[in-house]
Amino acid sequence: MMNKLLSKAIKNGLVAGVILIFFEMINFTSTIAVILEKMFVSDKKVKEVNPTYMIVIIGLILFLSTASFVRKNHLANEKSAAIKVLVSGLVSGLVSGILVSTLNAILGNYLNNGVDLRKYLDALSPDVIRNFLFQTDINNAIRIYMATTVGGAVLGAFASIVIQKASKLNGVFRSLKKGYNNLQIQKKCEKHPIIKKLFIVFVVIFIFALPMIINAYTISVLGIVFIYAILGLGLNLIVGLSGQLVFGYAAFYAIGAYTFALLTAPKPLGIEMSFIPAFIIALISSGIGGLLVGLPVMNLRGDYLAIVTLGFAEIIRILINSNILADYTGGPQGVKDIGQPHQPAFLVKILGKPLEENVWFLYLIIISLLVVIYIVYRLQYSRIGRSWEAMREDETVAQACGVTTSFYKVLAIVIGAIIAGAAGAIYVSRNTYTGPNEYAFMVSVNALAVVVIGGMGSIPGALLGAFIIKGLPELLRDLDNYRMLVFGALLIIMMVIRPEGLLPAKRRKLAVKPQSLEVLKEDLKP
Amino acid sequence: MTRKPPYVLEAQNITITFGGLTAVNNVSLQVPYQSIISIIGPNGAGKTTFFNCISGFYSINSGVVLFQERPINGIPTDEIADMGISRTYQNIRLFSNMTVMENVMIGQQPRLHANCLDAVLQTYRNRREEKQSIQKASNLLEFVGLSAYADDLAKNLPYGAQRRLEIARALGNNPHLLLLDEPCAGMNPHETKAMIELINTLRSELKITIVLIEHDMKVVMNISDSILVLDHGERIAEGSPEEIQKDQRVIEAYLGSGTKNVIEKYSKRKSEKVHQS
Repeated sequence: MMNKLLSKAIKNGLVAGVILIFFEMINFTSTIAVILEKMFVSDKKVKEVNPTYMIVIIGLILFLSTASFVRKNHLANEKSAAIKVLVSGLVSGLVSGILVSTLNAILGNYLNNGVDLRKYLDALSPDVIRNFLFQTDINNAIRIYMATTVGGAVLGAFASIVIQKASKLNGVFRSLKKGYNNLQIQKKCEKHPIIKKLFIVFVVIFIFALPMIINAYTISVLGIVFIYAILGLGLNLIVGLSGQLVFGYAAFYAIGAYTFALLTAPKPLGIEMSFIPAFIIALISSGIGGLLVGLPVMNLRGDYLAIVTLGFAEIIRILINSNILADYTGGPQGVKDIGQPHQPAFLVKILGKPLEENVWFLYLIIISLLVVIYIVYRLQYSRIGRSWEAMREDETVAQACGVTTSFYKVLAIVIGAIIAGAAGAIYVSRNTYTGPNEYAFMVSVNALAVVVIGGMGSIPGALLGAFIIKGLPELLRDLDNYRMLVFGALLIIMMVIRPEGLLPAKRRKLAVKPQSLEVLKEDLKP
Repeated sequence: MTRKPPYVLEAQNITITFGGLTAVNNVSLQVPYQSIISIIGPNGAGKTTFFNCISGFYSINSGVVLFQERPINGIPTDEIADMGISRTYQNIRLFSNMTVMENVMIGQQPRLHANCLDAVLQTYRNRREEKQSIQKASNLLEFVGLSAYADDLAKNLPYGAQRRLEIARALGNNPHLLLLDEPCAGMNPHETKAMIELINTLRSELKITIVLIEHDMKVVMNISDSILVLDHGERIAEGSPEEIQKDQRVIEAYLGSGTKNVIEKYSKRKSEKVHQS
């Protein structure tokens, strides 16, 4: 029994040690420590990280890993729990401490011998190594490491037991949940649809008030988030509803964006159209793009469609990037001075002065987003949306039930393409500049991630997905180089916990009271 | 007055081959109005293949299928559904992540006409059509006895209910002809009895012609007007249930060619025993 526990504790210590080493190799620990330090110390300019914060972070990692170890093995309920917990904490701490100390001893020796490790590992500059040695010599650093890891592990082990023993906490959560269920908010909303309507009105008012109260940085982030929400809604219609795996969604985005850009910019074509006609032509041309892809592939399924659309997106990107077409598309230099919509005169009159440029644009984006939400919602809960979903579930049977699958496939791709075109046109008009690199493969991947993370076929899901894909990296900006690492980890965790997406589509309740058999017989006459 | 054709479905000399394999060989079938015809045969006899070519999944190598005196060879499945042929599947194929109601409403697809603009603008036509569609779906669910499950996901239904849901979905397009592929497979005797009742009501109340594939001989002998027996893609017998039960080739197909001797031996021994006593 004890042997088994020991081997488990050693394993746990090894894992924690490897995590610590990995974080050290990529200089993650000290970055977090700096962020922590900034919370308490303003105006930090020195390169050296305060060792206290390093110790706190390392201790915390051990604390958490041991706490979860104790919890997972149900040590709290066993006999002589205190000894077992103490032993497992000590062993885990020691093992990980030895691991991480060895690494630092090696690194410290390299530092003393004047070897520059940056040749091999980018993050390991002499400053960083000094940070990890807590600005002292190797022997002291090892002592600190051992003390920190063992201390953190033992503390974590006991904390875990204390929390489990104080099971009252669980009781509180349970009664809270019970109370929430008793409120039956959902049922009440169903009974009184006005509550839902009031809620929607409130949300819309809040959204419209938003641009007035937030700062310029948030406005620009929200703008890109909402544009991705539009993109996500369009792709959601193709992938989430109709089940066609389209990988090259950026193609339609690029067509809309470039059509708009070329029609309104002074160079290279010099047409300089005004906003609305150019916008409409952009929608039409991206719709035609959708048709061009849709028609030849309407009999393809799954992977084949994904590859064909991937190829199409690359063709579009290479075409707008090519030097041969530079006279028409601007080539690699892109297009400058793209037209922007004028604020309508009546609005200026009401407000007394024109809105700031970025606020006005955010309003425009919000209005387009609401229009797209409305259209997608209406389509989804109609005969057309039902056919799409049936196709997603089983294409053969859907066709045998009378769904003209080839038509509905092309329809989904065309409508999705038009929505992407709208997003593209708004995006370039907002930036007044565009270049071929903005339509790289990453755009398609991001749009697909918006759909998958939010939940296939779910409108609120697409909105939430856009916030997570485009908004979260901005929030994580403080993490600097590691934000993509943290972001990726968050994505993995989310997909493991909720594989069907964060906000999966809800089914509507439709059933009504049945009529008599006579009516049915009349109804069923061929 | 329009002349009513004698048969709702007429298959003439159908042959279907997959590469070198002849799945259905020169089979003919006439289905009179409001009849129940069964197709039986051992596994791999070509029964489902025969169904698949009537509902348009496979193309026929030679022969003609006439539905209400119109040839339907090579017509896409959605148009065949539109003409009034519906079917169910041997291995249940529902739209499992949609609700029961939505499944039945998909079946009505050929009878609905609202387009994208109607849906986005919520025109009168769209609202009326949706309302009628919902009402009809509810009626159908009541008819097959699934009202209690109306708003559940199709995949969460018990097995027997899923089979009945397939029938409700197939009824959505007001079919003349309903093809049932093993409707009683995997059911207990109680469920089987209910299914027999349902099939009989379909014919008597809704005036629908039914062709079914079934392995459960109790069901087949109970409800069929006529039975077609296939073996290795060939027609080996056709006739009323009584005739089929006595047919030597059918017995051979099901039990093997040695059976003739076995049966003779068995009856001989039996009669000897009677003599001895």
